[in-house]
Parts: sequence; structure tokens; C-alpha cells
Amino acid sequence: MGKLTKGQIVEGAFWLILAAFFFAYSFEFNNNIEIYKYGATLWPRVILLLIALAAIGQLLDQRKNGDAASTSKIAAIHEDSAQDSQHNSLGWYINTFILLCLPFAYMIVPDIIIEKTGTPEEGTAKINIICGAVLFLAYIAISWRNHVGAILTLPLFFAAMMQDMGFYALAPVFIIGVMILMGERRPTRMAMVMLLIYGILIAFFVSLLYVGLPTGYISPFYDFGTWMVNTFQ
Amino acid sequence: MDAFNNFLTGTVTLFSDPIGILIFFGGVVGGMLFGAIPGVSMLTLAAILLPFTAHLSPEHGIMLFSVIYCTGVYGGAITAILFNIPGAPENAPTAFDGYPMTQNGEAGKAVGAAVMCSAIGGVASCIVMMAATAAIADWAISAFGPPEIFALVFFGLAVAASVGAKSFWKGWLSIMAGLMIAVVGLDPVGGLERYNFDMPYLAAGIHFIPTILGFFAVSEIFVQAEKKATGSYNAPKLSVDFPTFKELWQHKIAVVRSAIIGFFCGVLPGIGATLAAFMGYNEAVRWSKDREGFGKGKMEGVISSETANNAATGAAMIPLLALGLPGGALTAMMVGVFQMHDMEPGPLVFINSPDLVWVVFAAMFFANLSILLVGFLEAKTIVNLLRIPFQYLAPLILLLATVGAYAVRGLTIDVVVMFVAGVAGFFLRRSGYSVAGIVLGLILGKIGEQTFAQAMQMLHFEFSGFLGRPIALGLLIAGFITILASIYGAFFKKVPASSSAG
Repeated sequence: MGKLTKGQIVEGAFWLILAAFFFAYSFEFNNNIEIYKYGATLWPRVILLLIALAAIGQLLDQRKNGDAASTSKIAAIHEDSAQDSQHNSLGWYINTFILLCLPFAYMIVPDIIIEKTGTPEEGTAKINIICGAVLFLAYIAISWRNHVGAILTLPLFFAAMMQDMGFYALAPVFIIGVMILMGERRPTRMAMVMLLIYGILIAFFVSLLYVGLPTGYISPFYDFGTWMVNTFQ
Repeated sequence: MDAFNNFLTGTVTLFSDPIGILIFFGGVVGGMLFGAIPGVSMLTLAAILLPFTAHLSPEHGIMLFSVIYCTGVYGGAITAILFNIPGAPENAPTAFDGYPMTQNGEAGKAVGAAVMCSAIGGVASCIVMMAATAAIADWAISAFGPPEIFALVFFGLAVAASVGAKSFWKGWLSIMAGLMIAVVGLDPVGGLERYNFDMPYLAAGIHFIPTILGFFAVSEIFVQAEKKATGSYNAPKLSVDFPTFKELWQHKIAVVRSAIIGFFCGVLPGIGATLAAFMGYNEAVRWSKDREGFGKGKMEGVISSETANNAATGAAMIPLLALGLPGGALTAMMVGVFQMHDMEPGPLVFINSPDLVWVVFAAMFFANLSILLVGFLEAKTIVNLLRIPFQYLAPLILLLATVGAYAVRGLTIDVVVMFVAGVAGFFLRRSGYSVAGIVLGLILGKIGEQTFAQAMQMLHFEFSGFLGRPIALGLLIAGFITILASIYGAFFKKVPASSSAG
């Protein structure tokens, strides 16, 4: 008989809370469907019940079998992660969570500021740029000693900003950012690879396949995106 | 004999027409390339080409799409093996063992096995398709109603729960998580919005392409990046050594079994190559004496998945051509090609346009054969992509995935969803969950719920109605036995921890 670790209890609690939350939310759409007496809730509720049962089963298994519970007949197929101890501490998880919140803050905060201050439409772009800059500086500061957290967050920042600033203007910065985070430090090499990747993407998707990538709507990013589309498409 | 004569006539018609030859080879190369380029797929190519088929004859249009279908399903295996990025959902199980083979320095063997078995599965499927289209279509359509399809989905999910995760519980939770993602959006019967949290984007449901790209491609980049950051990254070893005939011959039973599974799944409307590939892989695991070896770079895993998914391509044409029922996204596009030429696929096509049917059959046969030749040449060159240092490959893959996610609906929120799925996949993989299980749950969730609802309406909401349907009952019982055996194994039959990785 083993003893449950804190991690196993947290994992089990996560699934049970998730199941409870979604079960409670299912009452929002618990309406009758004339031709189907089980309604729209039966299917998700059965899945949630099975999630709860599996979470409890996992906890009982871990309690009975200890560490061996993490293995099965066809066990451990993906030995995926380095799982360095530095990236398993509570501090690392908190730091990474804060980092991951920053891109979503960019998606929400400018709208709140614009609404609260009643900024006219011509001033909204400036607020978006300032918020983006401040949050990106916060990202650099917080991720200074958290390399993995920085790698996880950068693509989310790229995606969050793409609506406003467009693919064309952000992609070169993103390529260089990823290369730096992956350990590349030679500026000439980075510039050449960036131009090569950017060129391949533009030639293949924009010139050949006519894929309409987002141009953004904030000047000068929008102007640059439109110029790229007009030139290469 | 009639079928053989018709096949010869179709072959002569195909290769005596210079435009037909051009379109055939364009489809072969295009399907393979688009299948093999990370971030795009054969569906991207088909969607781009769809409007242009109005300028082609119906024979050329349908033939082009059927050739893209055959070679595109194979092409997706290349990226699954080399980068852990399945070109399409049906290539996902190929990555389970194909990518570990690449990491073990056996990329060439994995690609070679994929080439050989895709061709075998596809050609075998074509032969059966030509010989028995009418009879098989009649049987499958009459024997497989919604209760049977629901039971097949249940069985597939029950088997998949034991593969890909560190424990049965984590496998089961992974699949349930996928099923819950599939619930978001409109319910399939009443059209009620579920779990949209007042967000317009969620009202339409979470699209599976950004989710798949996130869970596979993006999370793989994150996992490798973490390894790089902690100094435990090992660059994939380059090899172009194809498997020997002896190595392939050792897996002959797996090939035959997967071809049968693939054909069987492919013939069922709405199921197609994805379930075929997963079931082919799962059955390989189930019947193997070395179950622990799966997921760590076992060639049989690649062979089973690739034979099954290509075997499904020929079979998927049966319900399409015989009854007008598309089996998946690409066959649905083929219906569009028919409609652009004021035609409806169905039994009348065999009577009114036998030339079209047999040119398409011949083209699919030779497209699968050409995988052997063109596939080997392509594989010899594309394996060299592994020479590119990871710090240069990572931004390219992330941007290709970005374009792939955005191009689906033209929504930047799909790109956000993809990267969120990537982060979630990273943490789930760290904890021993199976991203493949989540994706399978996501794809089969909608089919499962829809067919369950149809089945219950059909059976007047009496579960006892399943007792009168032997195929459905058999599949449900097999699924329950699989789950109970896994639970029993989890509690009472522990293997020593040393026998398992992680």
C-alpha cells in the first residue's frame, strides 16, 4: 500500500474539480429537445461521470500500487520531456503561469482601457501598441531566468498580437525570437535564416497559393502588410 | 473477368490521354508534397484545386482528387515520422513509433516501411474495390446503421485508451478530455449551444485542425526546446537505410490484418482512414508479444498504421461511388466535383458513366503503385531535412503550423487555440497523458454522439434494442471487455517498473 504524493492528489483534484465545474455549467443548456428525450446534456454528463470515475480509479490505483501505478502493460510510451528538477518546482510553475497570462492580458487589457477612458477610435491603436510594449517588456523581465516558460509564451504572444499587427510584420521578429530562445547567438546566421524562412513562406503561401494572411489594422504594421500583399501576391 | 476487362479499358483510357497523364502525375506529386509539408495537407491542395476542376472533364476532376487522396494519405506519414507532425489525422498513429524510430537513427527504415506498406495497403484495397464494390457496399450499408457505427466508435476508443499514455487511467482521461473538447459548440440533434461561455468563437465549436497542429506539432517543438534548454536534446540521427525484404516479411501478418481493418473501416461512411489507422495500430499492439516495445520505435507500429490508412482510401470510394455517401473530408470534396459537372455520385454513375468509374479505379491503382517509385525517391531526398539544425527548423515549423491553422477559416483565434493546445499538450505529455488519445477523442466524439443519438431514436430510446443487433452488441461487449481487462490489469497485474520507460 503506497501513500499518495502531493502531485498525485493535485492531479486527481484537478480532474474532479474540472468535472464538477463542467457538470454545474451543463445546467445552462439543459433544455428539452422535442425529438430527443436525452437532451443536449446526457452525452457530456456521461463523459464527465467517466472522467470522475477514472480520476478516482487513478487515485485508488496510485494509493494501492504507489509509483508502479504510473506504469501499465503498454506503459510510458512517450518519454517526452526532459523533466529537469528545475522545471518541476512550484516556483517554476507559478512563474510560467504568470508568463502565460501575459499574452491573454494583451487580448483583454487594451479593450478595458479604451472602454474605461472612452478613447476615440483614432487613439485605440496607440493604446494597443503601448500595452503590447509594456507586456512584452514584462515578458522579458519575468522570463529572464525561465527559459522554458519563455519558449512556451513567445508563440502565444505572436498569436495574440497577430490580429492587430499582422503576420507580415511580426513573423521576422518571431523567427529571430525563437532562434534566440533555441540558443542561436550569431547575428549574421540569424539574419540569413530569417530571410530564408520568411522568403520561403511568402513565395509559397502568398505568391503561389494566394493565402490571405492577416495584415493587422494598426499603422505602420498594416501599411507594411498591405505593401507585402500588393507586391508579392 | 468483367472487372479485369473494365480495368484494362480504364488503364488504356487513362494512359492514352496526354492531359489525363499530366493530371495523374500532377496529382501524385502534389498529393505527396502537400502531405509531406508540415502545416499543410492534401486537404489544403484539394481545397485550392476544387474551383479549378470546373474547367476539367468529370473524369479528370474525379481522377485528380482520387489520386491526391491516395498519395496524400501516404505523404502525411513522412512528416509524422521525421518531425512527429502527422500530415493528416490518419497519420497520427504512424508518429507513435515512426518518430521514435527517427530518434533512434532509423528514419530511413521507418519511411521505407511507410512507403512499402502504403503501397501494399492501397493496391490491395484497389483490387478488392474493383472486384467487389457493389456487393460490399450493399452489405456495409445494410449491416452498419447508426447503432453499429456508434458501437464501432466505442470499441475503437476503448482499445485506444490502453495505448499512448503512461497508464490506462491517463489514457482514458486523455480520451475523455478529447471527447469533452468535441462537445463544445452546437449539439448535433437540437442545435443547442454548449460550453460556449458567451464567446461567439466557441459557439461554432473548436476546429480540429488547429487543435491537432497544436497537440502534435507545437507541443513537439516545446518538448524539444525544453530538452535543448536543459542540455538533454539529442539531434535525430540521419539514415537512409531502407528496411530489407526480410524485415518487412516478418510483419506479413500485421500487413494483412491492417489491410483488412483498413478496408473494413474505410468502407463505412463517416469513419474512414482515421479510425482505420488507429485500429490497425491498436490491433498490432493487442496481438504483439512485445507490447512494451510499441511507442519506442517499433517498425510494426508504422507498418500497421500506414497499411490500414491507405487500405481505407480504396474502400472509401465504395460508398461514395455506389451510394453517394462521402467517407471523409476529401471524398466530400469529390461530391463537390460531381456537382460542379451536374452529376450526382451514386448507383447511376455505374450505369451512365462506366468510363469515369473505371478510369478512376485504374488511376487509384497506379497512384498506389507509384508511391513505391516516387515515394522512395522523395523519401531519399526529404529525409535530408533532418540535417537542418533544430534552432532553424523550429521557427519554420511553428510558422507553417500558424499558416495551416489560420488558413482553415481565416481566424487569428484559431492560431491562438493552436498554441494553447500546444502548451496544454506540453504539460499533458510531461504528466504521462496521451495527446493522440485526446485527438482521437476529439475526432470521434462528434461521430460518436451523432450516431448514438440516431441509434437511440432508431431503437425508440430502448437500450435493449442493441440486443437485437448482433454486430453492434458484439462490438459493445468487446469494448467493455477491453475496458474491464485494462482496469483489472491496472489494479492486480502490475509489471515491474523497470520494464517500462518513464
